[in-house]
Amino acid sequence: MTAVWLVLRKDVRILLRTPALLGVLLFYPLVIAALLGLVAGYASSKPRVGFVDLDGLPPKLVVGNHTFNVQHTIDEVARNVTLVRMSEDEGRRELDDGKVVAVITVPPGFVATLQQMVQSPTLQVAVTRGGTAPRVRQQVDALVYTLNRKLQRAYVDANLTYVRLLLHGGSGKFVGRDFDLLGLDRTAKLLTQLPQEERTQRIEHFVHDARLALAQTDDALRATATPIKLVEQPAHGRTAALSAEVEGYALALTISFLGLVLAAGALAGERDENVLGRLSRGLVSPGRLVAAKVALAAVVSTVLGFGVALAFAVATVVGHAPGGEPWGRLPLLLVALALTGAALGAVGSLVGAVAREARTASLVAVLVVLPIVFLGLIPAEVFTAAGWVSDALPFAHGVRLFAATLFDFHPWGAVVREAAWLVGIGLVFGLAATAAVRPLRG
Amino acid sequence: MTLLAARGVTRTYGSRIALHPVDVDLEPGEVVALVGPNGAGKSTLLAILAGALEPTAGTVDNVERTGWVPQRSAHYGRLTARENLHLFASLERAPAARADDLHDRFELPDGLRAAALSVGNRQRLDLAISLVADPRILLLDEPTSSLDPDQRARLWEIARDVRDDGGAVLVATHHWEELEGRADRTLELREGRLT
Repeated sequence: MTAVWLVLRKDVRILLRTPALLGVLLFYPLVIAALLGLVAGYASSKPRVGFVDLDGLPPKLVVGNHTFNVQHTIDEVARNVTLVRMSEDEGRRELDDGKVVAVITVPPGFVATLQQMVQSPTLQVAVTRGGTAPRVRQQVDALVYTLNRKLQRAYVDANLTYVRLLLHGGSGKFVGRDFDLLGLDRTAKLLTQLPQEERTQRIEHFVHDARLALAQTDDALRATATPIKLVEQPAHGRTAALSAEVEGYALALTISFLGLVLAAGALAGERDENVLGRLSRGLVSPGRLVAAKVALAAVVSTVLGFGVALAFAVATVVGHAPGGEPWGRLPLLLVALALTGAALGAVGSLVGAVAREARTASLVAVLVVLPIVFLGLIPAEVFTAAGWVSDALPFAHGVRLFAATLFDFHPWGAVVREAAWLVGIGLVFGLAATAAVRPLRG
Repeated sequence: MTLLAARGVTRTYGSRIALHPVDVDLEPGEVVALVGPNGAGKSTLLAILAGALEPTAGTVDNVERTGWVPQRSAHYGRLTARENLHLFASLERAPAARADDLHDRFELPDGLRAAALSVGNRQRLDLAISLVADPRILLLDEPTSSLDPDQRARLWEIARDVRDDGGAVLVATHHWEELEGRADRTLELREGRLT
């Protein structure tokens, strides 16, 4: 234990003498985190969708009593996608090439079917294959849902027109045919002029009940069209930039770079300085040497990660953004940072043990940390194999641990599970690093 | 009583044999010269005897504390000479006063990082580090290559002190002339074999 402490103290002392390196190691991942956040937040939020019009949509379209400006309506309902007009051939080709994620086709006869209001017209959609297909399908579903909501009012109003005709009588048109309707009001009047016998009174009762019932049709029909209404409440929670996800990723990304690169460089540095031979003469065993590097990664990750968490906490106060546990869970966060930093330190130690020089080790560490981070960013449901590989590495567990620590109402289940993963990963990589240090003696 | 006994010590790197089976004994009160041309295997043998390199085959038994000065500097360049000495003294469980004493004895500069020292000063620092545990066996690999005449004389004084205290010194060098009158016996290594 003393040997580990002495080597750790030496490493910290050396690190403090290179503040520029420390600064780069802290700010570089923060910049990467911000850039990744922008890419993740905006790049995939508006996928490119092809729009093929085989029916020749007119500029204005009358449905029921409503007139729709077609382009304006398309712009309104397609806010979450970039809709690009193209021919049928172009649509097929761009979908095959992956230039668009989906193609929506308006088939011939669409407008006529829509205007008849007897049957539902059909839109055709072709979605790209692969992991993003479910998400694309959701976005197209959302687009059609928004369009349906716009048409809903026209359909309801058209149906209510017929109901009013039933009630009050008058002229109308249905499926191209003109008709004239007596209406319940005029029927009731005519009935009063007939001899009042039992059969007449029964018909009067029916007309009376039917008028009352049809008078309620307006609300009932609108409720049928929209069984559940969604009312958006004003929210005061964290903005996207301060969300649990962003904070978790920022912390994990920062200490991934720090822990991995530091541990790799520090272990390879022992070899560069030609000190490995001296230490291995019974002064510091390979296991203790790796433990010292793991401890270095844990200490530095804890200190700097804590600084990042404090910055987020202050930002939530200044920005009046409640939510999460920015202050109360900081002690638990210290443990989470140390555990994640240690696991990353173990991975870095393996890199440092395998690489021959500190420069090579640092370069390899940077090359290694990027795929580790990217694998952790890929949702497991999109690419299952990426999820498996990511599970064997510390980054994704760190993200989940930080998010659970700072934001979960009941964090303990996730905290214990992810902490156990990190301990296991740390042990496996630590033992591998210890074995890799051994042949390098001298 | 033999202070260090190596039996059948061999080292190979892949298919290349750096050291054929070698037997070496170091007895109390002797300075032994290990000579041979560059690439003969002297540094490899010393590193194995020092316990810094595992032999591919053979055994090394040493019952006493061993100090080792490798041919290439082996200390932390971003620490000062005093910090290096204190660190290795702590690792060797030697008193801090011993580190300070060696720092003064070797007249090492204070306040400068080791990487900023001259080559000669760095070699003196390596020698000082090898002495922090007060070893009875001293293994020196080309120890005088960067030392000025005064420092060389001081090095041989130290070797003589260790020998006079009943210890043993093994000096590897390819400067035969320097050993004249200083070594009690000589071992010659050529192409990994003792001749």
